[in-house]
Parts: sequence; C-alpha cells; structure tokens
Amino acid sequence: MSGSPPWSSSRWHSSQAGFVPHHATSNSTGRLEVASSPPDVQRSLSAANIAGHSSLRGMRRLEARRQMEEANFLSSKARSQNLNPPIDLRMLDYVTAYDDNLMCPICRCPFLDPVVLAECDHCFCRDCIRQTWASTYSPLGPRGDCPSCRTPAKLGPRSATSKILVNITDDLLVRCPKSEDGCKAQVKRGEVQDHVNIYCGYAYMECTADDCELHVLRKDAAEGCLHFGVSCLDCRQSMQKASLETHWRVQCPDRKVSCELCKEAVFNREWDTHSRETCPAISIPCPGKVFGCNSRSKRSQADVHAKSCTFAKLTPMLTAMQQRMDEQEAAQKVMVRKLEVLEGGFQAVQTILSTKQEDPDQVGADESRIPLLTGRPHQRGDSGGMLDAMVVETDVGAFVFPPPSSSSRPSSELVHVRAGASLPPLYSAPMAPGPRPADLPEPFTMDFDMASPFPPPAANGPYISPLHHLLSMHESLRDEMSRMSAALQELDGRQSMQALNENLRTREEISYMAAQVAGLSRQVHWLTSAQLQRQQHGGAGRQAAGAAGPSGSDIAGAGAGVEAAVSTAASALRGAARIVNAGQGMTMRRGLSEEGRTKL
Amino acid sequence: MTAPLPKRIIKETERLQSEPVPGISASPHDDNARYFDVMVEGPGGSCYEGGVFSLELFLPDDYPMCPPRIRFLTRIYHPNIDRLGRICLDVLKNNWSPALQIRTILLSIQALLGAPNPDDPLNEAVAKQWKARENQPEAIKTAREWTRLYANK
Repeated sequence: MSGSPPWSSSRWHSSQAGFVPHHATSNSTGRLEVASSPPDVQRSLSAANIAGHSSLRGMRRLEARRQMEEANFLSSKARSQNLNPPIDLRMLDYVTAYDDNLMCPICRCPFLDPVVLAECDHCFCRDCIRQTWASTYSPLGPRGDCPSCRTPAKLGPRSATSKILVNITDDLLVRCPKSEDGCKAQVKRGEVQDHVNIYCGYAYMECTADDCELHVLRKDAAEGCLHFGVSCLDCRQSMQKASLETHWRVQCPDRKVSCELCKEAVFNREWDTHSRETCPAISIPCPGKVFGCNSRSKRSQADVHAKSCTFAKLTPMLTAMQQRMDEQEAAQKVMVRKLEVLEGGFQAVQTILSTKQEDPDQVGADESRIPLLTGRPHQRGDSGGMLDAMVVETDVGAFVFPPPSSSSRPSSELVHVRAGASLPPLYSAPMAPGPRPADLPEPFTMDFDMASPFPPPAANGPYISPLHHLLSMHESLRDEMSRMSAALQELDGRQSMQALNENLRTREEISYMAAQVAGLSRQVHWLTSAQLQRQQHGGAGRQAAGAAGPSGSDIAGAGAGVEAAVSTAASALRGAARIVNAGQGMTMRRGLSEEGRTKL
Repeated sequence: MTAPLPKRIIKETERLQSEPVPGISASPHDDNARYFDVMVEGPGGSCYEGGVFSLELFLPDDYPMCPPRIRFLTRIYHPNIDRLGRICLDVLKNNWSPALQIRTILLSIQALLGAPNPDDPLNEAVAKQWKARENQPEAIKTAREWTRLYANK
C-alpha cells in the first residue's frame, strides 16, 4: 500500500465503501458521499455492539480510518479541480465523426445539456438558447422566437430532451484536453471531466511531499517531491526537476528531438527549417502544383518525380510567362488610365468648341481670341446665320465638330480633306439644314457620331492626330493666355506708377501755389489793417484831411476787392487739389480691382 | 489578450473552404480570423449577371448572438445598397437568428441582388428610379452598366 500512489489507495477504499466515482458530475457526487456516510457509521457501530467489546475497538479504528481516507479523497479531488479548471466541452477535439443532426444550430457542436422547445420541437443546448434569449428576458422564464423557425417559444421546466439524445452526444469519443502535453487517451465526452480530475497523468495534482505545496503532474507524483533545482544538461538553464520534461519537449533549443518521419535527431531550434526544407521523408507537392500536377512525393524522391512530370519540366517557363503576363496586364491598366484621361481632355475641348459654335457671332469673336485654332478657317453657313459645321483645315486633315445636340441638324459629319484636295466645290454651296446633299464627294466625308462618349477606333491612324492636335492647341492657348495676362499685369503696374509720379508733382505744385496765395492774403490783410488804423487815427482830423479822405476809402475798397480775388483763387486751388485727390483715389481703386481680378 | 476563437467560427471557416457555395467565396484574413474577404457573383438572369462583387465581412465578439457586419466594397447600383456599400437586409438587422451562418447570409445577399426590393430602400434615388414604371428599364440599364464598369473580374 505504501508503494502505490495515494490517489489509487483512496480510490480502492472508497469503492470498498460502495462509492462509484463515474456517471455523475463531481460536485454533486461529493455532496452525496458526505451525506451518506453517517448512517454507515451508525450501522457499523450497532454491529460492533453485538460482536463484543474487544472487537468493537478494532472496528471503530477501521471505521475511523475509512472515514479519514474518504475525506482525504474528497479534499484531494476538490483540490485537483482547483488545479484543473472545468473543461470547455465545446473546445474538445472530437475523434468520432458526428451527424449534423447531433449539432446545436447555434454553437455547431454536439448538444450539451440539450433542451427541446415544446412549440416547434427544435433542440438547442440549454446555454445557447438562454444566451440567445438573454435580451428578451421575462420574469416567467426564458422566452423568445425559435432561432431555427422563428416560432414564439419558451423554456418550460420539462424542456430537457429525451435521455437518448443526451446519451448519444455524451458517448462521442474525444481526445483528452491534455493531448498537447502528451496524454494519448481518448475518452467519452461525458467522462472527460472525470478523466482529467482523477486519471489523466498529465493533469496537475498537489505534490505528495508533506511540506511541499507546489503542484505536479499526476504521472510524476509517485516519484516523490520533484521540486528541487536542476539545470538542463543541454542548455544549462536552471529549473525545477518537475518542469524539466516539458522544457525538453518544447523549449530547450539545444536538445535533440527525433523526427517522427525520418527518425533523425534534430535540434529543437532547427525544427522549423528541418520540417520545411531538409527532412527527406516529409511529403512535398510537385513543383508544378500551381499548373495542375496534384501528386505529392517524399522529398528524397522529388527529383525522380520531377524528371517524369511534364508540369515540373514546364514550371520555370510557365512561371516566367505568368510573370510577363502580370507585367503586361499592369502596363495595360496604366495605358487604359491614360486613355481615359486623354478622352476626358478631348471631350472637354469638344464641348468648348461646340458651345462656341452654337452662336455664330461668338464664333466671330472667337476668331480673334483663338488665333491658333482659326488661323486658316473656312467658315460656311453665312446664309441665315445658321452654321452647319465648322471646318478647320489642318496639315493632316480637316474635320468638323458638330454640336452635341445634333439631332436637329442631321448634317453633322466629319469631313476629312486630304491636303491639296480641292476645297471650293465642297464648300461653295451653303449647306441647308436637312439631309446631306447627295452630290457631296463621298471619299471625303465620313459619318462620325461625336455625341458618343467613346472615341473612334484607334486603328484609323489619322484620327488619333486630331486629338493630339486639339490638345496641343489647347496647351498653346493656355500658354498664350498666361503670357497675355503677365503682360497685362506689367502694363498695369507701369501705368499706375506713372500716375502716381504725375500726381506727386501736381500736388507739390498745388501746395507751392497755396503757400504763395497764403503769403499774398497775409500781405493784403496787413495792407487792409494798416489802412483801417490810418482811418481811425485820422477820424479826428477828418475835416483837416478832407481831401485825403476819399482817396483813403478808395484804397480800402481796392483792398477788399483784392482780398475777394485772392479767396476765389484759393478756393479754385482747393477744388483742383480735390480733383487730383479724387483722381488718385480712382487709380488706387482700379489698382485694387486689378489685383482682385488677378487673384480670382 | 484576446479570447480564443469560438469553435463555431473555426468550423464555419473550415466548411466554407472545404465545401464552398457555388458563386460565393469567403476567406479569412491571416492576421484576423474574424475578418473575411468575400466575393459574390451576380446571380444569373439578373442585371448583375457576370459581375463579381467583393464584400468585407466582420464577425463581432458576440457572434453568433449578433449578426456579422457586411459591406459591399464594389460599387453597385441597387435600391437596397447605399453609396458606402451598406446593405439593407432584415436578417442582418432585427431578423438575425443565431442559427444563421456566414454561408446562409451570403446566399441571402446573392438573392437580394437577384430580387431588389425598392419598397424598403436604403438608396432613395436609386429606389425612386427603380420604382417608377417608366424608368425601370433605365435603372436596369444603369445597373448593367455599373456592373460592367466596376464589377469586372
């Protein structure tokens, strides 16, 4: 007994007492067991009374020991549950293939605690349906629409499905959740929690040593306490003995693990490159896989296959071709984009031209403005002011842009004239709005629907050039425009400068004149005041100077006249100054508006 | 740290790859298994025939308790799909049920392309065009044109 691990001994004892650890969830089992033990004790006590006093003590000791073992088992089980948290049964790896009918429509796993909705007979996991209906909570219990058929339903107290469904789903084989750690067990789903809690060698339990409180894998528990420091022989890292095995298997970079396929020992740190590049036994696809060869062979025999496989032989060429095709496709995309831009520009030019063509007067005005375009124009349609078509002759050819709303003017056509072709017969007769006269020379005309958003086919060589020609004209016009506006600006600046200079001079003159006038008025003032004084002084001796009197008043009157004249001159000067000022203000304003225009 | 991917999403992804729905493909991003690139072919006999429309699909954290978020990336002329590609479809909103899956939702969207519903519009202008009897041929022509322009392979 002493050699066997403690968990097995306690199990043996508990099964002696009629305890069955399977087929019940662990928590409820624990409670049941504790509750059932007192009657057992009483029964054995009464039996001991009958047997006699001496055997009574032995029986008691036995009973006490059994109880202690049981308590130990239960507490160790509870502890192991703490160490091994409950398993999420939905995340398990199912070994047996199961039917779609055993799958909950919500979580897509085999039913867990399935319930059936009485209203529509659809089954779901209890948790899934509760979670679905969590938002539509009612105090009468969970209710809502069936997720499968939208029938209003509720979860009653008798909603559990029949036992057979529970049994079928609980009997599905799953891999132990510790399979990554090394447990190879495959158990029924209903028992997997017990497997981990009680049997699984890769689940944790408490260390068997009395003074050690760390946990240890169950399979290592029999070896005594492994919680002492060691250092890995390969990488010299120090750790506890208990975790050495995991370290060797997963982490240690310097330990060699044997490859399952080629039986070769490989360093852990080289494992990736080994499986990807070197392992001769691993199965790799044919190099011509992308081109259709589906065969796989071991790496060591890949060359043999490649020699016989047509796909593998063609692969380098096919890859190169694919690459070239991709490149060309990309280039084509760029070209398409360019073409779109050009088309847009062409259409813009066309709309400009056709709007100008709407009004013949405006065309006349345009002639002066666009010298490049109408350098050698042959305008027809002077009869009745109705312009049928505008013909522009160029070196390459001449073509006509009809207005877009050409439905009313059926003679919208593109006239293509070779250089040197006789023009006069073509244009001598004014074209009447209506069907094109039949006597027009056919070789020179060609119907072309300009209202279509798509350009003429590029195959007809000459039609590419009008587009280019128009675009270049557009560009040169733009240049011309910018040159003109620059010249205008320059001119304007010069003019305003000149006006300013002129203004300055005029103002100086005016102020000089004003000063002169002021001096004059002062002199006159002095003269008049002297005259007045003389008159006052001579008031007494007026009789005496009777003859001088009339002459004095004459002087005063003359003084007043001079003063009036001077003031008129001053006001005139002021008026002149006002006019000059106003003129300056006007130039200023014009400068401002000019600036505004250039900004716009 | 993010929660592990629910088994349901893993299973749906696996099934979408192993037995794809004809005319529909969905593949998750490498860095985010909840984000899918979707291609849906225009249903035969509709004005979207011959087009391949790309969509993006995202599974929120509480999927399958709430619907996936789906948006058209390709421009499409459709009364129930707006300029930003958002889709007006009842099962993507109130009528979502956790028993629905990515594949069933994508099938619904393909069906919506085959049968536009201008009575419950998201794109008012398109719906008006679609509803007016005399304009309908025009609308269908536009839809064809857009399919040719934007939804080309």
